[in-house]
Amino acid sequence: MTDYTQVLFKNRRPGETASLETYEKTGGYEGLRIALQKTPGEICAQVKYSGLRGRGGAGFPTGVKWSFFPADQPGEKYLVCNGDEMEPGTYKDRQLLLADPHQLIEGMVIAAYALQAPVGYIFLRYAYEDCSQVIERAIAEAEAAGYLGKDILGSGFSCELHLHRSAGRYILGEETALINGLEGRRPNPRSKPPFPAQRGLFGRPTNVNNIETLANVPHIMRNGNAWYQQLSAPESSPGTKLFGLSGHFNRTECFELPLGVTLREVVQEYGGGLRNGKRFKACLPGGASSPYMTAEHLDVAMDFNALEEIGSRLGTAGVTAFDEDTCMVAVTRNINRFFARESCGWCTPCRDGLQTISWLLDKIENGQGTEDDLTMLHDQVRNINGRSFCALAEGAMGPVEALLRLFEDEIKEHIRKGKCPFG
Amino acid sequence: MVNLTIDGKQITVPKNATIYEAARDNGIHIPVLCYAKKLLPYGACRICLVEVEQMKGRLIPSCTTPVTEGMVVTTTSEEIVKVRKTVLEFLLVNHVIDCPVCDKGGECDLQDLTYEYEVVTNRFEGEKFDLPTDEVNPLIERNMNRCVLCGKCVRVCDEVVGYGSYSFINRGFETKIATAFDRGLHCEFCGQCVSMCPVGALLPRPFKFKARPWQLNEVDTVCGYCGNGCTVTLGILDKKVETIRFNDKIGVNDGNLCIRGRFGYSYVNSDDRLTKPLVRKGNQLVETEWDEALQVVADGLKKAQDGKGAGILSGARLTNEEMFLLKNLAKTLGTGNLDHSGGECYKGVTEGLLETLGVQASTGTFPQIENTDVVLAIRNDFYDTHPVVGMVINQAVRRNNAQLLVVSGKGGKLSKLPRAKTLLSGPGLELDVLNGLCQVLLEEGLAKTDGLEGLVALKQSLAEFTADKVATKTGVDADALREAARQLAGAGNAAIMLAYGLPYTPLSKELAVAAANLSLLTGIAGREGSGIYLCGEKANSQGAIDLGLLPAADGLGAQAMLDAAAGGKLDALYVVGEDPVASFPDRDKVEKALEQVPFLVVQDLFLSSTAAKANVVLPAASFAEKDGTFTNAERRIQRVRAGVPSPGEAKTDGEIIAALDAQLGGSLAFTGPEAIFAEIGKDVPAYAVNYTEIGPQGVVWGGEILQPVARKLGEAVAAPMVEGAYRLVTGSALHHSGTTSTHAKGPLAVVPEPFVEMSRADAATLGVKEGDLVKVAGNGVELKLKAKVDLRMPQGVLFAPYHFKESGVNRMFKTESVISVTISK
Ligand SMILES: Cc1cc2nc3c(=O)[nH]c(=O)nc-3n(C[C@H](O)[C@H](O)[C@H](O)COP(=O)(O)O)c2cc1C
Ligand code: SF4
Ligand code: SF4
Ligand code: SF4
Ligand code: SF4
Ligand code: FES
Repeated sequence: MTDYTQVLFKNRRPGETASLETYEKTGGYEGLRIALQKTPGEICAQVKYSGLRGRGGAGFPTGVKWSFFPADQPGEKYLVCNGDEMEPGTYKDRQLLLADPHQLIEGMVIAAYALQAPVGYIFLRYAYEDCSQVIERAIAEAEAAGYLGKDILGSGFSCELHLHRSAGRYILGEETALINGLEGRRPNPRSKPPFPAQRGLFGRPTNVNNIETLANVPHIMRNGNAWYQQLSAPESSPGTKLFGLSGHFNRTECFELPLGVTLREVVQEYGGGLRNGKRFKACLPGGASSPYMTAEHLDVAMDFNALEEIGSRLGTAGVTAFDEDTCMVAVTRNINRFFARESCGWCTPCRDGLQTISWLLDKIENGQGTEDDLTMLHDQVRNINGRSFCALAEGAMGPVEALLRLFEDEIKEHIRKGKCPFG
Repeated sequence: MVNLTIDGKQITVPKNATIYEAARDNGIHIPVLCYAKKLLPYGACRICLVEVEQMKGRLIPSCTTPVTEGMVVTTTSEEIVKVRKTVLEFLLVNHVIDCPVCDKGGECDLQDLTYEYEVVTNRFEGEKFDLPTDEVNPLIERNMNRCVLCGKCVRVCDEVVGYGSYSFINRGFETKIATAFDRGLHCEFCGQCVSMCPVGALLPRPFKFKARPWQLNEVDTVCGYCGNGCTVTLGILDKKVETIRFNDKIGVNDGNLCIRGRFGYSYVNSDDRLTKPLVRKGNQLVETEWDEALQVVADGLKKAQDGKGAGILSGARLTNEEMFLLKNLAKTLGTGNLDHSGGECYKGVTEGLLETLGVQASTGTFPQIENTDVVLAIRNDFYDTHPVVGMVINQAVRRNNAQLLVVSGKGGKLSKLPRAKTLLSGPGLELDVLNGLCQVLLEEGLAKTDGLEGLVALKQSLAEFTADKVATKTGVDADALREAARQLAGAGNAAIMLAYGLPYTPLSKELAVAAANLSLLTGIAGREGSGIYLCGEKANSQGAIDLGLLPAADGLGAQAMLDAAAGGKLDALYVVGEDPVASFPDRDKVEKALEQVPFLVVQDLFLSSTAAKANVVLPAASFAEKDGTFTNAERRIQRVRAGVPSPGEAKTDGEIIAALDAQLGGSLAFTGPEAIFAEIGKDVPAYAVNYTEIGPQGVVWGGEILQPVARKLGEAVAAPMVEGAYRLVTGSALHHSGTTSTHAKGPLAVVPEPFVEMSRADAATLGVKEGDLVKVAGNGVELKLKAKVDLRMPQGVLFAPYHFKESGVNRMFKTESVISVTISK
């Protein structure tokens, strides 16, 4: 394993959460001090030129998003941290919080200042009881130390943060559904436009960012853009990334690696190869909604653009590996069931379409599939992709589309044999 | 404006239009299912997807995507057709397809689209839903097996009605629409959800299996109940009104109705309708022919006029033309004793407003309310009397972030709207709170006093109404009162809402003066986009005022006529379209008057409690059976159209009055509403409009903003303080209007009988449960009423609505607005 620079995980110790003291000793809250010397516009510009891209799944440039935010508009504005993390195979935000939570607090205060949105909500996954305690403590510590609350560090800027625990559904991770959820409504996504930056939480301008995204901000403030960009090789994807490994790896842990490491390095060095010495067959590179990569992609760089070029997505960088004995139809069926169940039920293609995909995959996996079903599966992907209201259904199509593209022979074998070839 | 191309056609549309709206307004068809013009953009069904050249790679929902300059849109292609077919296949996967027995068949969007896209077979097989239908509620059949999850019911009930009955529940394929805890619907029963549902999932239960939509003959007319003046479309089969359909293309209500307008029509078809004139012979009212009846009436009235005099008392549901004829009849008869039922209680308008603003009507129009910054509603009952204006207020609050202020002695729907601030006073003390608001405006220098008369006297009279004093007396928080006054003063545009009607008689003039003062001090009266709204209880309350259906200078008004009759000083009374025994305050006096008066003629649809005492009863036509005009509470003159013939020999009030007039030697022949409307125009300049020019939106006399002709502040007076452990107030209940709705099955199905409403705390103290019979005693009268327990009631305050003749509420209320009572099981 290479000794890569640890930024977000530099204070990570097994079974321990870094205290405020530890955080401060390693440069914690210096980024905030530096930021408060600057104008909000300067911070936005710096984040934009740093090249930081969103870590919630879409990889949208954070500074660009911030530049759309009407920071000058009078009245209430909100900053929301998306900690829903319900994407199957994704647990990196949890690891980050349990390791060193003040990065998030500091990042949020800086973002709140940069966006002039002095009220922040941390929207946390229902099941993350441990994280919620960690966050509450961190908020209290930060308040006591003057990093949060009224007149922060004598700057005149005040900021309050609230923790909200999700009611616990995958769709709550979608930012407009999240906003509905925060308002106490049913979490359906909202129609865009208006975008949250115009009319978000309680009808006011709102900016939503992922936990990991926000946690990067203090480091960028403290160490500068040049430092940040040299952390990784690809120009389009600067910085480090938390990779959460799961599935058939020997080591299912979360690692902080520079963007652009090869899949091979992830699989062999960090994942320690697959269980029982089995061969690597495929993986979901970034959560259950990212199209599969196979052994032929082992030398592809794990960064936003390179993965798009091969028809996949970096997503959350939650890498789930499957070994040579795995039936990809069964995997896809399982994943699709999740998405069909978690569909918010709002729009027709997702609510009813995902269910039809489930039926088709069930049929094929159970050995009752026909060539017509295969044709229909192809057709359904086209009927659902790009037709739905929010990105859930599109995400759901990722693995299905990849199954058809990369494992068509395997599907045909199910049909030919009238049963699952993997028994 | 934005220029774009749709299907090769160059078009120019307003810049806030969506692609769908742009296409629709230019004659290009894009199918929609979840789109509704009065709801916010939604975009869920995905049937309306189109291609946009600038957004290649995905299909774009035309119903939510705003147009942009130079956009190039294609609405049909092989790809698009395929997607639409698939959406339909998806929707049909679990749909029951029971079109043969579905009342929506023939006007169902799903049926039509399936036909249009020739979805003959479905590639997907799924289990059909087998959800139970909602058999609990009386009016709306909910069959969720037919639901396509367009969310329109959820949205309209939230966005427009502000009630929030429905929500999506469950996820994915199991998603469905449900009420709270998935129980039977229990709501306002306004039926908005029914009119929005594109399929047969929500249907009017009273209409079940009554007719196929294409068999119905549709006639647009105006609701006969309240002063909101909603357009209703009668659905007629075989000369019978079988349903009321919504119409969002004409009128003021955007297709919105309340339970009375939507489900309150059945009285028109009632078997209890009078079909022949009745004349008293001995102790019996016996059927007779029109000739005889008219002769008896004419003779009786003439004789009375030659004696101690005759009087005419009219209801406010007559058309303008009929009221004009009635006025004319009084002239022919030579009597100045003429009034409409509101004559004594509409003082708020006729006197209070006249003395202050010099006009006798609302100064703004309803659509303007939606864009105000602050709405002040006087009494929560405003929603109950005028629900559809209430929905406009809801939209001002929800869509445009208006601040709603409610001055009220009890809670209610308006107080529950988002961010509403309620200045909750003791019962009947709203007047003091309004005065308090005026005082704060003056004290804090927020008032616009330029050009106002009567300032000194007002200031003097307001000395007793400082925020602290008002707080002490009424229980309203002094700071909240100050804050409300500041918000009203600071509003760019604001609306002040006050409803009036028979149960609100006491202090109505004083309230109107106080509201008018407030409108003058804030500059609301006459300001573009703002207004003071005084809304009459009945369909043509405003017409009665405009036409001056009032006593002559030396004549008697409604109460004076009753007093005279009771004292043996009036020889005849002709009551048209009103049931004073049931509806007027002080029933004992009314009964005495009707028993004493030697000759009583009653013209009505039913043998009302008043008609039962008459010498002659004349059978009249309902609103659905006549042509003419009503003027609603925003001064809008609208056309009323006959859809069905009257039962038996019943005649329109106009025909009857004109025939009587002729009998009495009058000169005005009945030549139909158009000719009479022209006559009205000669008398009342504001009505000098060509009848045929009264279009789909009616004609607002005086224009969108009616400028006050005076600006004279009235003096502030205090409401009397009534003490007591339990204090009873009366008023209107949402599901009813006047007494007419107590003959209609729809409203009765929901609220079948009189009740007394109380707080939970009082119910607990008294050991009373919802539905228990309780005794309420006060003012020398004891009433037995069913108990209703509601969170909206403050402790110690009781409310009993006035609509039901059997309740006797109007026996207890004589001249007071609040009565100290005792209550027991
Ligand atoms: C169905 C769905 C689920 C999502 N779940 C999450 C999530 O759990 N956490 C997250 O940060 N973003 C999630 N997102 C992405 C968010 O909508 C949003 O893009 C993100 O929070 C923006 O933050 P970033 O720019 O910092 O990445 C989800 C998106 C979709 C469509
Ligand atoms: S794609 Fe549609 S149904 Fe699916 S989660 Fe998004 S809005 Fe809901
Ligand atoms: S009838 Fe009216 S109040 Fe009741 S659910 Fe339908 S829209 Fe809502
Ligand atoms: S009940 Fe009707 S209006 Fe409501 S979601 Fe279903 S189809 Fe739409
Ligand atoms: S009663 Fe009034 S609010 Fe209700 S439908 Fe009729 S006119 Fe409209
Ligand atoms: S009509 Fe556009 S998505 Fe339903």
